[in-house]
Amino acid sequence: MESNDDAQGRTALGADLVIPALALAFAAYFFYSVRGLAWEAQANGLLIGSALVVLCLVQVGRIARAVAKRHGRLGFGSLIRPREAFVKRLGIVAISVAFLVAIRWLGLTLSLFLAMAGALYVMGGRTRRHLFWIPLISAAMAYVLFIGVLQSELPPGPVEHLLAPVVAKLHP
Amino acid sequence: MSWDFLVTQFGVQLGMWWVIVPAILLGIVVGAVPGFSAQNSLIILLPLTLSMNIHAALAFMIALYCATHLGGGIPAILVRIPGTGGAAATTLDGYPMTRKGQAQQALVLSFCASVFGGLIATLATFALLPWLSKAGLYLRSVEMVVVMLFGLTLIAAVAAQDFLKGIIAGLFGLLIGVIGTDHIYNAPRATFGFLELYDGVPLVPALIGLFAISEALVMVETKMIVSREGRERAERMRWSDTVDGLRMSLHRWWHIVWTSFVGLVIGIIPGAGASVAAFVAYQQSRLWSKTPELYGTGIPEGVIAPESANNGVTSGTLVPMMALGVPGGSTAAVMMIVLQYHGIVMGPQLFTSHPQIAYGVFVSMAVAYIFMIFTILPLARYMSRIVLIGTEYLVPVIVLMTIVAAFAGRQYLFDMGLAVVFGVIGYIAHRTNYHVTAMLIGIILGPLFEEYLVRALRLSQGNVAVLFSSTLGNVLWGLLALSLVLPWWRERQHRKAALRR
Repeated sequence: MESNDDAQGRTALGADLVIPALALAFAAYFFYSVRGLAWEAQANGLLIGSALVVLCLVQVGRIARAVAKRHGRLGFGSLIRPREAFVKRLGIVAISVAFLVAIRWLGLTLSLFLAMAGALYVMGGRTRRHLFWIPLISAAMAYVLFIGVLQSELPPGPVEHLLAPVVAKLHP
Repeated sequence: MSWDFLVTQFGVQLGMWWVIVPAILLGIVVGAVPGFSAQNSLIILLPLTLSMNIHAALAFMIALYCATHLGGGIPAILVRIPGTGGAAATTLDGYPMTRKGQAQQALVLSFCASVFGGLIATLATFALLPWLSKAGLYLRSVEMVVVMLFGLTLIAAVAAQDFLKGIIAGLFGLLIGVIGTDHIYNAPRATFGFLELYDGVPLVPALIGLFAISEALVMVETKMIVSREGRERAERMRWSDTVDGLRMSLHRWWHIVWTSFVGLVIGIIPGAGASVAAFVAYQQSRLWSKTPELYGTGIPEGVIAPESANNGVTSGTLVPMMALGVPGGSTAAVMMIVLQYHGIVMGPQLFTSHPQIAYGVFVSMAVAYIFMIFTILPLARYMSRIVLIGTEYLVPVIVLMTIVAAFAGRQYLFDMGLAVVFGVIGYIAHRTNYHVTAMLIGIILGPLFEEYLVRALRLSQGNVAVLFSSTLGNVLWGLLALSLVLPWWRERQHRKAALRR
């Protein structure tokens, strides 16, 4: 893993602000969403939210002090380095989102096959054998477990429609 | 609880061999893969456990959980790569034994310490459970509010590297847990306009995202989970000297007994977990040894102490979950989710409403350890080769299969998307040391915390002073304050000492 420190030995602390920022934004949204409700509906959220806001501000203050004393800087090194791994990470997240969209149209088996092949490619897999067999085995296992055995209501696609008579025979 | 009940339970659990044996084998494999923990495999297999009947699901989860703790010691000894955090201390003497040509002895020591340590701690927990369960009945809403905050604080203090970050993660989780309609007026709160969130944040996608997906995203930056050196070492493994290892274990039976109790006690503390237990047991073993200077050079006691303790933790972790409804760690949290899915409510009532579940968990654990004695010895050698799987295959399989698993709980596509969102949040939390376990336990406790808090406040007509109205509650508040101040004071002392150096 690449170092999180710069040439002057200052640690990148900007990434440490992401969770507090998310927490503060969520707490603000929570306070907004409970305005006008009965006190019973507000009490718990207000209590936890207020404590959370205070602690997040303490953390922001701690980081601001470190930056002011030049012990740290507002970089995002720990989240985005190494660069090539970050690109792979973005690729995996993008494929996951694409999978969630595609599953509605292509069904579980086919969309999982395509997403798995794409994810393997993004991760550096270039062997055609691996790019075909691993997705095929994964998709087949998912089909058997989720549709064949558990009869989940996952969206059906061409493969599910094709195999529907077989499943119907197994679960009359 | 009568002997008849106990014998019947034992018979029922023995009849579950068809679930226990595969779970043990899977657990050993999973334990041997660094970065792949018991909770991750339980998450991937959630659809399977949710579809099983409750007894089979419990037997499966318990056996897998215990076997994972045992499996973590295999690569720790053979290639100095701990399969789980709990096995990190095992590397200190386990790997030097391997280097001295005593790999098989070290493995057998580790197996014996794990199996017998786990078994002893389970039997001790079983004996103490009637008293532990009654303790929960004395806790009212006010005390439960403090107990939950106390549990969360302990997790942040013991498990998180940075206390403030741990607390922020825990409270963030607690606030996420409040999403949904309130218990009294059914008014929606912070649902982002999604009907799917009216019932609250579903636990399965939160769990999958925060643990499995986030860890897979961290894994992306390494080609393999082991270094080239570790890979070469893993390929050269041989199997021999098993009998010698058994003899060494028998000679040190008392060491196994007392270090397993260290694990049990630490396991009961929410958040402490196997890593802390293993290191504490190792330190204690060295402290009381007549030859402390030999620790770290490859001695049997240095393998026994951490392995026995990290398996002693397994039963201890389940105690706060069963007796109070507060999960002691992330794996206990996964189990709690599965039990809740089956309509089982944790807490002191569990011992009267579902005694077969409450006691069955520990009987199941004892049976799993007995089965392990016969399955592990002949198979262990081959398991270390698991470390040779590349991340280019592991990451896509973990991410995509767990996203599909997120659908299983409620059958909503929305939950699959939610798992990805939690995966990204979990990844950021992972990389910046905001503890994901604290966040998850916050999410689990959120609705319960609200229920107890609002009940206490309604009884006092909205007077917050009710939270400080009971003696037991005030003692717990005092301990909570201590647990908040002590880590801060300790950090300050460390910093001062570092500056002096």
